[in-house]
Amino acid sequence: MMKRWWMVVTVALLTAPVSLGAQSKADVDGGKLLFQGMCTECHGAGGAGGDAPSLNRPRLLHAPTDVALVNIIQNGIPNTAMPRVRRFSEAETRQLAAYIRSLGKLADAKIPGDARKGAEIYRSLGCAGCHIVGGQGGNLGPDLSDIGFMRGPSYLRQAIVDPGAALPKGVLQVPSRGYAEYLPLRIVTKEGGEVRGIRVNEDSFTIQVRDQAGRFYSLRKTDLELLEKQTGKSLMPSFSTRLTQPELTDLVAYLASLQGEQ
Amino acid sequence: MKTSIPAILLASLLPAAVFAQVPYDRIVKADSEPSNWLTYAGGYKSQRYTQLDQINKQNVTQLKPAWVYQLRTGGVFETSPVVVDGVMYMTEPPSTVTALDTRTGRPLWSWTPKIPDDVIVIGSPPVNRGVAVLDNMVYAGSIAGHLAALDAKSGALRWDVAVDDNKIGYYLTLAPLAIDGKIIVGVSGAENGIRGFVDAYDAKTGKRVGRRHTIPAPGEPGNETWGGKDSWKTGGGSTWLTGSYDPELKLLYWQVGNPGPDWNGDFRPGDNLYTCSVLAINPDDGSLKWHFQFTPHDTHDWDANETVVLFDATVNGRERKLLAQANRNGFYYVLDRATGEFITGTPFVKQTWAERLDAKGRPVTKPGLDPNPEGILVYPSIQGAANWHAPSYSPKTNLFYQTAVEMGTIYYKGEAVYKPGIGFTAGGGRTINGDDAWSAVRALDATTGKLKWEFKLLSAGRSSLLSTAGGLVFGGTEEGNFFALDADTGKPLWDTQLGANIRGIPVSFAVDGKQYVAIAAGFALFVYGLP
Repeated sequence: MMKRWWMVVTVALLTAPVSLGAQSKADVDGGKLLFQGMCTECHGAGGAGGDAPSLNRPRLLHAPTDVALVNIIQNGIPNTAMPRVRRFSEAETRQLAAYIRSLGKLADAKIPGDARKGAEIYRSLGCAGCHIVGGQGGNLGPDLSDIGFMRGPSYLRQAIVDPGAALPKGVLQVPSRGYAEYLPLRIVTKEGGEVRGIRVNEDSFTIQVRDQAGRFYSLRKTDLELLEKQTGKSLMPSFSTRLTQPELTDLVAYLASLQGEQ
Repeated sequence: MKTSIPAILLASLLPAAVFAQVPYDRIVKADSEPSNWLTYAGGYKSQRYTQLDQINKQNVTQLKPAWVYQLRTGGVFETSPVVVDGVMYMTEPPSTVTALDTRTGRPLWSWTPKIPDDVIVIGSPPVNRGVAVLDNMVYAGSIAGHLAALDAKSGALRWDVAVDDNKIGYYLTLAPLAIDGKIIVGVSGAENGIRGFVDAYDAKTGKRVGRRHTIPAPGEPGNETWGGKDSWKTGGGSTWLTGSYDPELKLLYWQVGNPGPDWNGDFRPGDNLYTCSVLAINPDDGSLKWHFQFTPHDTHDWDANETVVLFDATVNGRERKLLAQANRNGFYYVLDRATGEFITGTPFVKQTWAERLDAKGRPVTKPGLDPNPEGILVYPSIQGAANWHAPSYSPKTNLFYQTAVEMGTIYYKGEAVYKPGIGFTAGGGRTINGDDAWSAVRALDATTGKLKWEFKLLSAGRSSLLSTAGGLVFGGTEEGNFFALDADTGKPLWDTQLGANIRGIPVSFAVDGKQYVAIAAGFALFVYGLP
């Protein structure tokens, strides 16, 4: 006998509604404590941005509404590096949401530097050889069209000065694990072939690689003599010695101005 | 193939519409009919081992999908199917029970309990890990905190009882355990400040016939280990994973989880018995034969709910009845299951919290590693070196197979304020993730805990394992690899990509004289066999 076969219950259960209602100072303070413990490593102190987008903005890409914000706190964002950190209680969720919303009510942090000068520097350095902005540029590195929306200025500065220390953490199809994307690899096969490139994806038995010429390799780990993950390195050179401090500040200002299609 | 011929004949001759009864004696002798998989972990010893050897080291590379069953809804799919005479009983998230034809994967019936919109599930995803069968009934718990008995032929509800009140945080995710005339269940909810217990229900009527609390009340032995004001009342100690049973000793072994609140021990000075322990319970009267506490006064959420495996082996020239567990705290333990005597304990992952275990198995802890408001890095992680994911033991190799998670967490302490139905955790943690965390399938000498081999997995995931008489260990990775290793050496022999996180728990069965291996991945149940 088929009984209530099609009853759909899961979605409602996964996102039990939490009403934000009025946000008290106690909620905001409680949320700040939780945020410091759970969120600052990626979102930066005070939500100023880091690996993960800044949150001290009135409008959040994935959380335009309070319902969406609560859902993200409770469940994470699938296929991104935003995990379900842990199962927060209803009270904690309300406090976190209250604190995050309070960040957006601050005056927009003024980013120093001249974005127009920064755009000139971007052109003169040839960044477009590897990066796409607004559909134009090379595809070896990350698309920067909305990088100012996605990352905070301190992260952008680090990515220019020490790119290997600032690889974006993606998902590699393994939600919440935060594997480094664009990780440089040196691979030697048992047949003696050598591949240098970036990791596109990986599982316990195989690895997918793209080299500088854009060629794609699918390799089984049992066929490899060497699989060297060059953690801390990047195919992108450091620009620390090629830019003065004011130029660096201008370049960061330009990148921060890239807000994508709004 | 050493499968008992009558069992295979039975399975192949009976049309799928005929359901045999599963009396208690059949479960006791589950080893003698490996074409079926009669309990959550394959039998009372929880060895998750099959005597089927048709799929073996020589032919495993030929495995092909036989059928796939897709969930109608999404959710986190962690089922361990039970198979009886050509019918598979499995659970879909959050609490649906479905019977499938093992030849084709076609559903025979499905039953979904009523779940209130405001159901409280704090501490885990809303999952279900499987059913129990006894006589002509199928038993399943629900996240609403209920236990239901279904008619095995039709899926019709025979009885339904509220185990305890979900409004204050009790819920069920485990597969019940059926023993002689009784259904045994535990509960989840320690992140809600519940007071845990193990319950026994009359299998025919659903009447509760016993309750063994895991947190002693005032006047009971052990209550003195709960300092602070009334801390025992919200002491946690949930019992959220299926226990094991020794029919000869007539002892039920049930594992107990973390104390509440999880990360602030100031609220509950003392050892906090019987949290993070295993209990040996007489199922007739609920009395406690012995207990062993792995992690006294836990402050890192290291529940001891991991499956306990029963096996017999010679220790120092003497044949012993043993119980083994790879604990979430990072140590592998072997106890005498008749007496609770500690025999050995050894780390099976990187751990930074204990100097060693003393002669009685009590950890000698390092100072200053309790969670604090600034956060402190400790190994293993908040998710544990082991967790709900199933280990396996092969009597053929005397190896204990366990997916060991190599990961640390920065632990934080928060304020402990109890309000019914609201999370009572008082802190939390942030795991050291990405390329710095990983896991490995490890084969430990079951008697000594000594590492025999390991096979590294990319992610710090939870691969449940199945070992077979064909010399194989099956498991699945978070990245979607369903794989078979050589049970003697750990060498990878076969793998395929199922396209989603594998959280299912593998089982094996036979129908029409052919062996199959089943595992849930993503939103689907996959069944593989030889061509």
